[in-house]
Amino acid sequence: MNTTCSANNCAPSVGVTESLRKPRYTVANVAEAFEIEVELPGVTKSGLSIDLEEDILSIRGERSGAMPEVWKPLHRELSGLNYQLRLRVTTPVDAEKIVAKLEEGILKVTLPVKATAQPRRIEVA
Amino acid sequence: MKIARCTPAFQFGRTSDFGPWLRHPLASLPAMAQLFEDFLPAVTTSGLATDLFEDADYYHACFEIPGVKKDAVKIELKERVLTVTAERSLKVGDSESTRSLSRALALPETVQEDGITAKLEDGILTVSLPKQESRKPKIITIN
Repeated sequence: MNTTCSANNCAPSVGVTESLRKPRYTVANVAEAFEIEVELPGVTKSGLSIDLEEDILSIRGERSGAMPEVWKPLHRELSGLNYQLRLRVTTPVDAEKIVAKLEEGILKVTLPVKATAQPRRIEVA
Repeated sequence: MKIARCTPAFQFGRTSDFGPWLRHPLASLPAMAQLFEDFLPAVTTSGLATDLFEDADYYHACFEIPGVKKDAVKIELKERVLTVTAERSLKVGDSESTRSLSRALALPETVQEDGITAKLEDGILTVSLPKQESRKPKIITIN
């Protein structure tokens, strides 16, 4: 139910000059909630910001552990960029009850679906 | 212009172009490597990306392994080859699966084998390899 925002449908109006990396993520639908798992290695709690604005959930992770100055790079394969993920939430979610947890470089966000949007069983009288 | 001869057995992905660090442990034994490539592809594929750094006393190798617990990481040193294996269990709904990622680094002669330390923080594994005492830069003072 979450769709990724592409650059043209929900990009900020100001020109973004910083290069950001889109992290790997998964979305699972479990018991009346959406569970989003985002891989953010190198990000600590203080470098993380999660915003839900209208129907756009944006997750931004800044790497904290910048390598010490004295470390001279010999060979690089990893990208040192900060992360940004923007997802469009198409189902009404309970913004008050969103829970986020960061553990070992993995961010888990649980978005409970609003009661009004949940399927209702109609009993036959 | 540089012309390099290409031997299929020497192609270990992108690692073959770099210095002694990233040369495959079996690079000098192409026949052996070919054998491994054919029968044990997991041995030769590098699943984990790494960053290598150097300071005055240490070499540092960094790996990104989000979601991997400390006890699911295995670091092994054998015949100057450092192998890092990380096992991550993925849980999607009710089903669970494990994915194993591994990387082998050929250590240069200058690394002192005892005294290697590793640290796992926020999904980043840093392995610190001390340099041999004699290889450290020496400061000579003028009398």
